[in-house]
Amino acid sequence: MFKKYNYLKFSISFLLIALFFLNTNAQKQRWDVPADKKAKNSYIKFDNASSKDGEAIYTKNCLSCHGNPGKGNSMKTLKPIPPDLYSSLTQELTDGELFYIISVGRLVMPAFKDILSEEDRWKLISYVRSGNKKYVQVLSKTDPNKSKLVKIKLDFDSLTNKIKVIANAAEKTGIIPLKDAEVSLFAKRYFGKLQIEKTIRTNSEGIVIFNFPKDLPGDKAGLVDLSVKINDEVYGEIEFQNKLKVGIPTDKPSLTEKRAIWNVLKKAPIWLIITYTSLVFLVGFVLLFIVKNLMKLRKLGNN
Amino acid sequence: MLDQSKIDKITSDLLRHIRLNNKFVLWMGFLGISFVVCLYAYTLQLKEGLSVTGLGDYVSWGMYIANFVFFVATSLIGMLISAVLGLSGAKWASPLARIAEIIALAFAAVAGLVIVSDMGHPERLLNVFMYGRLQSPIVWDVTVVSIYVVISALLLYLPLIPDMKICYDKLDKVPKFQRNIYKILSLNWNGSLEQQRIIKQSTRILAILIIPVALAIHTVTSWLFAATSRVGWDSSIFGPYFVTGAFVSGTAAVIIAMYIYRKNYRLEDYITELHFDKMGKLLVLVSLVYLYFNLNEFMVPGYKMKKFDATHLNDLFAGSHAAMFWAVQILGLVLPILLLLFRKMRKPGPMMIIALFVIVGAWFKRYIIVVPTMEHPYLPIQNVPINFKIYSPTITETLITIAPIILVLIIITVLSKLVPIIPIQETIEHLEEETK
Ligand code: HEC
Repeated sequence: MFKKYNYLKFSISFLLIALFFLNTNAQKQRWDVPADKKAKNSYIKFDNASSKDGEAIYTKNCLSCHGNPGKGNSMKTLKPIPPDLYSSLTQELTDGELFYIISVGRLVMPAFKDILSEEDRWKLISYVRSGNKKYVQVLSKTDPNKSKLVKIKLDFDSLTNKIKVIANAAEKTGIIPLKDAEVSLFAKRYFGKLQIEKTIRTNSEGIVIFNFPKDLPGDKAGLVDLSVKINDEVYGEIEFQNKLKVGIPTDKPSLTEKRAIWNVLKKAPIWLIITYTSLVFLVGFVLLFIVKNLMKLRKLGNN
Repeated sequence: MLDQSKIDKITSDLLRHIRLNNKFVLWMGFLGISFVVCLYAYTLQLKEGLSVTGLGDYVSWGMYIANFVFFVATSLIGMLISAVLGLSGAKWASPLARIAEIIALAFAAVAGLVIVSDMGHPERLLNVFMYGRLQSPIVWDVTVVSIYVVISALLLYLPLIPDMKICYDKLDKVPKFQRNIYKILSLNWNGSLEQQRIIKQSTRILAILIIPVALAIHTVTSWLFAATSRVGWDSSIFGPYFVTGAFVSGTAAVIIAMYIYRKNYRLEDYITELHFDKMGKLLVLVSLVYLYFNLNEFMVPGYKMKKFDATHLNDLFAGSHAAMFWAVQILGLVLPILLLLFRKMRKPGPMMIIALFVIVGAWFKRYIIVVPTMEHPYLPIQNVPINFKIYSPTITETLITIAPIILVLIIITVLSKLVPIIPIQETIEHLEEETK
């Protein structure tokens, strides 16, 4: 009797422990998105056109891992398995959460913040929502056209090596500074963009100041291709490009300018061309001589 | 002078195997059916692409490339026997020269096809000619392998000219078109001194030319690997390491062919125990040289164990490739050397078995050279399924790998039913010199 009771107790506690672990595991899988991001909505209307654009972007960037939505054919060998984006668990997420996940990523799921524009990311979500009949969109009050009102100015102070970014909107009522907007500064390099410092928020005058590195190579004149990306609650996403003389003048001939082993055929090293062709010709001559010998041999037999 | 009856006996002995018999038909039927099965596997690859293989982004060179290296390697034996031994006056080797040339020609010619199987769609071969860069060892390889095939064919053909005449004269039972081919190929041979001089001169020139070309084909093949900076390939001795390894597998191939020809064609009087004894010693010599290069190739980086080398070497010495690595080194190299030191082991039977071990070991040795390095790149492999990281060949791929081996056997079998595999004219001449 006593033994049986013990056994039962053991089973129950085991079950409870197992349930506890299952539960925490399930919780760990979900996303932890800041409240303000969670509430964010799209300024693009989710209709057939935007969903169609989104599908094309999806095919290029997401299909390889997530598979066709609704088909359950995501890449099962990854860990964690990429969810089917039509699944109810994914559809329960808010538009803001989806936007955040796609922008920031997590481990295997890549961040698309610097790869896809905000517009493209919303179009993706339009496509992801297209399989959900129950979904009703809440449009953001942000007017995408408002971003056109924004004027950005870049100032470089060569003494302190600082770059000042000033962002203002030219409203009808007058010039309004963009307050508390996220600003990122990038310098264009060979393979992509190099972020300078980190993303900073503007002050009440719509100004941020970046410490620019002193040793960044520029082109012959020291010009560097800079781009500023601003994210504002009201005005949306704005990109601005400008060339400034902030780098060290660098004049390096391209590695593919002269003849070299790694260059195209037309720019093969002379010594290689000479060696190769003369060896091939040498062998060719010997073989011709042999053929001539054989012809002679044949003629000799005729007599 | 040699009396006519002796000459007649030699001629009829050496021509005896040029005829169709049941054994040949059965063997060819077997080869043909196996080849068709392998071709079916190849059509699958044509349809589906290389995804039917175990190859991927990381291990993009697998069994096909190992097979290619093995083929190029084995074909080098033609140069060793007919050129090096021939020019240095080693008369004992001359009855074996044609066997070696047939092996060389078959393996070298098929090596090109092996590469095509690795390209996926065969028409991609054209890209080598359209976009190939002179700077790339691949273009050098295509060049030298083609030249080697041509020279090997000539080196097989030139000493055959007098024998073609003998075939035409003596083989009156073969089909008419076959006799006509003999007649055309004999180039009006009448054995005059001038004709003999031309053959001697041309053969000599080709024998000299084939030495650098043969060294080039396998050195350049090794550069396909050594010209990269990958662990296990980034080695300055890769050229000689490959060339010496080539002599090992080639010598083993010739020993196997000698054994089979001798048994099947009753050539005991022509391929004697002396030949086996000498070839056994040759195999010991080339294996010792190869062992020496192996010692250098693994001892030097193994002593330093630089970070990335260490991952690779630990995997070979004690990791997932260890069983194959040690089997290849011990069963395919060390044991054969030790055994062949005993005269009893240099008899045809035991040598046949040893040579089989050597040649199978030689194949897996190429696998060990190609695959593990591909699994150990400098940049870490992240976030990919396990079958991307670890190469495991598929059955389709295995069949496509076997296909060229069958093709080589078919070529060798057919050739040895068309031409005397022991030079008749030369054998008679040698006997005449001896009796003088
Ligand atoms: C390299 C493979 C990969 C690519 C490419 C990829 N994802 Fe993901 N994605 C994942 C993985 C893995 C997860 C699960 C991540 C986790 O739970 O930590 C995931 C999760 C998600 C989620 C959260 C779903 C949920 O219910 O938890 C969304 C939404 C998503 N991805 C959208 C996208 C979109 C849109 C793209 C293309 C722009 C994309 N992903 C590209 C691998 C990928």
